[in-house]
Amino acid sequence: MPELGRNLRYVAAALRVSVLAALEYRVGFWTEAVLGVIWSLAGAAPLVVALEHRPDIAGWTPWEVVLLSGFYLIFAGAFGALIEPPLFETMNHIRRGTLDYVLLRPVDSLLACMVSAFQPWRSLEMLAGAALVVVAALRLELRPGPEQLAMLAGALACGFTALYALGVLALSLSFRAMQLQNLAFLMESSIELARWPISVFRGPLKAVFTFVIPFAVMTSYPAQALLGRLDLGAAVGALVTAAALAGLARVGWARGVKNYTSASS
Amino acid sequence: MSAPEPAIVLDGLSKRFRVNQRDPGLRSAIAALFRREYVEVDAVRELSFCIDAGERVGFLGPNGAGKTTTLKMLAGLLHPTGGRAQVLGHVPARREPEFLRRVALVMGQKRQLSWDLPALDTFELNRVVYEVERGTYDARLAEMRELLDIDAVVRKPVRTLSLGERMKCELVAALLHGPEVLFLDEPTIGMDVAMQLAMREFVREYNRRHGATIVLTSHYMEDVAALCDRILVIDEGRLRFDGSIDALVRRIRPLRRVSVRAAVSEALDVLDALGERVEAQVGSVAYDVHPDRVPEAVAALLALPGARDLRVRDAPLEEVMRELFSRNERLGLDEEEGG
Repeated sequence: MPELGRNLRYVAAALRVSVLAALEYRVGFWTEAVLGVIWSLAGAAPLVVALEHRPDIAGWTPWEVVLLSGFYLIFAGAFGALIEPPLFETMNHIRRGTLDYVLLRPVDSLLACMVSAFQPWRSLEMLAGAALVVVAALRLELRPGPEQLAMLAGALACGFTALYALGVLALSLSFRAMQLQNLAFLMESSIELARWPISVFRGPLKAVFTFVIPFAVMTSYPAQALLGRLDLGAAVGALVTAAALAGLARVGWARGVKNYTSASS
Repeated sequence: MSAPEPAIVLDGLSKRFRVNQRDPGLRSAIAALFRREYVEVDAVRELSFCIDAGERVGFLGPNGAGKTTTLKMLAGLLHPTGGRAQVLGHVPARREPEFLRRVALVMGQKRQLSWDLPALDTFELNRVVYEVERGTYDARLAEMRELLDIDAVVRKPVRTLSLGERMKCELVAALLHGPEVLFLDEPTIGMDVAMQLAMREFVREYNRRHGATIVLTSHYMEDVAALCDRILVIDEGRLRFDGSIDALVRRIRPLRRVSVRAAVSEALDVLDALGERVEAQVGSVAYDVHPDRVPEAVAALLALPGARDLRVRDAPLEEVMRELFSRNERLGLDEEEGG
């Protein structure tokens, strides 16, 4: 427990520094604010277009798709605010050999890297997503019981774990291949696929998006949990997938740090 | 009573890097996409030495000698490929938090301060990272602000500071947690003379007040001479010398330099037999002579008309360093000297 408290204090201090850095440039700060709002609105635009032309999408009614889109915005916002910035920051550090000072801190090196940067305004998307989830749940007149809420919490935890693990795997690869910023861009683009229900995908693609790059766990499963349609088998599958990805990420990171060569000075 | 454990112990420490290489040009760049050629480089080869707690030790060596690689292995940043290192009883490569809280590394060419923020914000982050009590933090910060005279700069964004001001703040950021071992890698690089002096004084004072072990690498011989009682010469990854600066100077340039101010106008054939003439101009003359012949040289120089200000000293440090760092010359340090 002292370890957890120490880590939480570190996360709070590191995020504080990122927010202070964002506040340092006034024009940049307000530009990011406007962009944050645009990102949030843009996230919902394809949904409106799709639903104008179809009564449902792969068995999901319009308001169910809105619910799903809420979870999509939460994950896309989390990626933009909390994962992509430290990915770029750390990849740059690795490429330039300046990860030294981060690794010298007496905290878990992975934690230190994953909180090394933060885009506060991208978290607006998360708020917009949460608002969509609430509105959709009200329109669908959902009354989730404790079991559904537990499933929702579990699905969200698995989804976030999987998203972070994928980011860490990309980061671990950058210790070997120095210029992998494109991998982070690829991740950002791929997350777009998570805006659609997993049932729109068929065959191998469905398996890939459920177990390998588990977009289903991130958006479809939380929505299904709230709708009371997530079965126990799928929930266990999500747990195993998230745990496997987290384990793989841990091992990849440890190997990456061991191979870190720094830069000569 | 048994002797205290050394702060730093190296036993056959080695580091080998695998580095890719290719010929210049587009063709070889494309070829390297499919088949890459690697060479193995031994950056550090079987280094063995001990450093006691509170010692101030300087690493000297030409570029690429392995000094920084050694420092980074001792700080836990790089994993050794052979041998063993121990710092304050810890294996650095494990990077245990208990170890990292007791050491600090300052690199002259890298920064830990947040570029866009005043240094005070990074200090505060480090206070949380290293779990320094508020009272202790305030006292240490006040002490260092006074010693380094940085009151006027800690509130400005780091990007607006001069190199010297920034390095002072870097030192503070590295020392706020009170490290017992301080690794300094080229801390004064690019600084003007006044700033170098201030940094040296501060490091010496930190060592005196806190008994911290200091390990320093610097291209400025003056840094090492002013700060370190003991030096380790590393060349091509190997330890070539371990001892005092005086011992090193006499090893590389064993001749003593004898100089005098005098009314010299004619040929000095008699004196030339004593040693090598290194300076002869109207009003002064200097010879490098074997230590056994110093009395003879002194007597001969004092006999010159108007002789005054006679001096006997070692060769200037910069000459020793030029010879030491020259790759084309044998260093004459094949055998490590006991420190």
